[in-house]
Amino acid sequence: MARYAMVFDTRRCIGCHSCTVACRTKNELPLDMIYNPVTTVGPAGVYPNLSMVHMPLICMHCENPPCVDACPTCASQRRDDGIVFVEDKKCVGCLACVMACPYGARVKNHETGAVQKCDFCKDRVDEGKLPHCVLTCHQKARVFGDLDDETSEVYKLVNGERTVRLLAELGTEPYAFYIYG
Amino acid sequence: MSKSVDLSQEGIEVKKSCCYFCHQNCGVLAYVKDGNVLAIEGDPSYPTNEGGLCCRGNIALKHLDHPARVNYPLKRVGKRGEGQWEQISWDQALDEIAAKLAAIRDEFGAEAVATAGGTSRTDDWARRRFMNLFGSPNCFHNSHLCWIPTFMVETAIYGWCPFDLDLGASRCLVLWGQNPGASSMPEMHHIRGLQAKGLKVIVIDPRFTETAAKADMWLPLRPGSDLALALAWVNVIINEGLYDAEFVTEYCEGFGELADHVEQFTPEWAAPLTWLTPEQIRESAYMYATSKPGNIQWGVAIDQLGKSAGAAMHARALLRALTGNLDCPGSDLLTGPSQDSITDEEMEANDRLPEEQKAKQIGADKFKLVTWPGYGKIAELAKKHWGKAPTAEWMCEAHPPSVFNAILTGEPYPVKALLVSATNPVNSYGQSKMTLEALRKIDFMVTCEYWMTPTAALSDYVLPIAGALERPTITNSYGCADFLLCSQRAIQPMYERRNDYNFWRDLGMRMGQEEMWPWETVEDAYHYRIEPLGYGTESYDEFVELYRFHFPEREFYKYKRIGFGTPSGKIELYSSTLKDLGYPPLPEYVGPAENEADDPELAKEFPLVLTTGNGFMPFHHSEHFQIKELRFLRHEPRVEINPATAAELGIAEDDWVWIETRRGRIKQKASLTQGVAPRVIVTERGWWFPERSMTEPELGGCLESNTNVLTSVADEHCDPMSGTWANRGLLCKVYKVNGADAKEGK
Repeated sequence: MARYAMVFDTRRCIGCHSCTVACRTKNELPLDMIYNPVTTVGPAGVYPNLSMVHMPLICMHCENPPCVDACPTCASQRRDDGIVFVEDKKCVGCLACVMACPYGARVKNHETGAVQKCDFCKDRVDEGKLPHCVLTCHQKARVFGDLDDETSEVYKLVNGERTVRLLAELGTEPYAFYIYG
Repeated sequence: MSKSVDLSQEGIEVKKSCCYFCHQNCGVLAYVKDGNVLAIEGDPSYPTNEGGLCCRGNIALKHLDHPARVNYPLKRVGKRGEGQWEQISWDQALDEIAAKLAAIRDEFGAEAVATAGGTSRTDDWARRRFMNLFGSPNCFHNSHLCWIPTFMVETAIYGWCPFDLDLGASRCLVLWGQNPGASSMPEMHHIRGLQAKGLKVIVIDPRFTETAAKADMWLPLRPGSDLALALAWVNVIINEGLYDAEFVTEYCEGFGELADHVEQFTPEWAAPLTWLTPEQIRESAYMYATSKPGNIQWGVAIDQLGKSAGAAMHARALLRALTGNLDCPGSDLLTGPSQDSITDEEMEANDRLPEEQKAKQIGADKFKLVTWPGYGKIAELAKKHWGKAPTAEWMCEAHPPSVFNAILTGEPYPVKALLVSATNPVNSYGQSKMTLEALRKIDFMVTCEYWMTPTAALSDYVLPIAGALERPTITNSYGCADFLLCSQRAIQPMYERRNDYNFWRDLGMRMGQEEMWPWETVEDAYHYRIEPLGYGTESYDEFVELYRFHFPEREFYKYKRIGFGTPSGKIELYSSTLKDLGYPPLPEYVGPAENEADDPELAKEFPLVLTTGNGFMPFHHSEHFQIKELRFLRHEPRVEINPATAAELGIAEDDWVWIETRRGRIKQKASLTQGVAPRVIVTERGWWFPERSMTEPELGGCLESNTNVLTSVADEHCDPMSGTWANRGLLCKVYKVNGADAKEGK
């Protein structure tokens, strides 16, 4: 069984928001919803000694997802391959998962009433394709793949580079990994 | 929940299309069924974008059938700018336009008809072909601000413009006023990959850009001071013996004159002009000159300097020659024009424009380099050397501000008609208030467009034009590359849109040009152009489907075999071509268009240094403000200002502020950032507001936040060689917008 993960190489991200636009356009999200915002930190420092880093955010597809535990209707689920998703029909929009998620990755869709979030484009993944945000990233700052596959790019990066998981201290074990410069 | 379209369904065809929202033309796969595009994706097998698409590329389907698109030919029925239109047929529109142009030609001469173009969003050679056959030399683009002066200065010196970089083997890349991190994504990706393998990157930019943040060295120079920096680099490279003596001796002329000339331009001399330290200037010059082979990538900043532009391009060009970074592996390559296919220039019918009409080109008397006097001379040299000339549409153009001035004043002669194709001059050409007045005054205006822009709103006819997925595209660096990247249309144009090729052809057919337009469709014309490649394909589409690209075998060190395409056959450091045109053969120092040293009084009233015209995501030039899937990223115009300066002026983050130069004022929202020096102001370009009324006097608020209200096209601010006008290094002041004048835009 695969274990899907995404690696964000912040050395390569330029904050162009292509991923944000691709995701929203192709998933036909309302304008007030974003699955994958990119936050720019900087320019930090005092002119001319500056640094700038761009932080893409996304659902972390946690090994121990608090959102799944919090969901009273079992709409939020985790597949065996690690993809956390919301089954629209079961969601009653109670927002328990929104409050439980420490990453702010979930938003209620006011058109459908259901809470939604990134599902790694699971339908595409099931067809052997890359998520929209990964394919569209000119900079190859997002790498997606199977962490159980030792030949995969994500396996090589997670095991070969120094990676960081956000809020690792919470024990959620996110499957989004960040590489800093 | 992912709403992936089922792309495995029966009857889907995958078309090899491309993006058309900037000139990168990233490869796109379009999934088409029954004449509808169901989905698009970046083409993973396209050599530049490798599947990637930027924000703009991703909204192709939103653009394709946006409710605000112009889809039918429109004829003005009310007063100009009143917004009253009648939908008519293409035949009626073309008949009436042809009749009007013929009447103008009879009364005022063919030169009274001018055309304005945008950036590679059109079939440019077709426009030039029409105009040459019609008899008018007054075609223009915004090309002066974008590469064309650079192309011509470099071609004068080396015999071709070395715009094709062999980056793979390079050790040092200079990005001079260029920010691929916001304006050419595929390039940025390759640069980052090569940096990981040891490529050094120097970014020269007043802003701490997306690219500067990833650079090995960032030189935040005073906006507009590029010439001083370039001269100081030449000085260091010569004085400190960093030049390639063997290459210079063997292949360059005029080294002695140059060495004498630049002795005065020391880093210590340049430091106060550039706001850099002598050490920064020396260290960066060393990095470029000693990390060989190396590249200097072209960027628009120098093209937009105004009066110091030509000299700055000249000085920058000398750097490659002195270091021998030309046409060797890893350097900037002199490919010459395509030898294997029919070039754009060969499609233009330039020989059909009579000499007496060439002589009437507006601006050619003042600015000789990118008009017939300079182009004619350089084209002749190129034909002798390469057998072919650079594209005239771009490299040989009427001077746009002088054309607008001719509309207003009748000098040097009246211009009565303007045919506009995929451009919105109010927002993209200089000194917008003057440009807008010209568009209000012109007798007859036809605009080929996607949208009802402020310019289209003032037109007599607005014609609906085919967009990215509805047209075939050949990408070949404005017709000057030796390679071709070919894309096909995904679908036939929707509604009553047409390719602008068909506009020019159909107009030509009505004006006695029948025998010169044998190609019914763009594909027919493109097939004629690629047939000599010898792939034996039956049609253009077949070529795209089977081959798509043509990259000729690369020959390095061509100069050893054929020399350089200059009068002497060598690189002319001391340029005889520029001298013959009446320009300095060596780059002489002039200050930025407006600056504190030359005009201290002006600097008292306008103490800040303005730079305009840089690209930013997700927009391109003055496009895409309608598309909410992009606009949410930047819904209002922003001006960058250092927090220290803002504090002095009582300006807080998100305050609306006026930015004012001698030409006028605009307002944008303050964005406080350490990414610019305390005295530097950076405005966003292009802004207008399609959500506002598109009729007079509002016209989409086209002056309110439009940075080109601030730029200068005065002859004394223009580069004497090319006529490019001043977008960078201007003096301005900034102050808060009061509640009372918040709605004003002047």
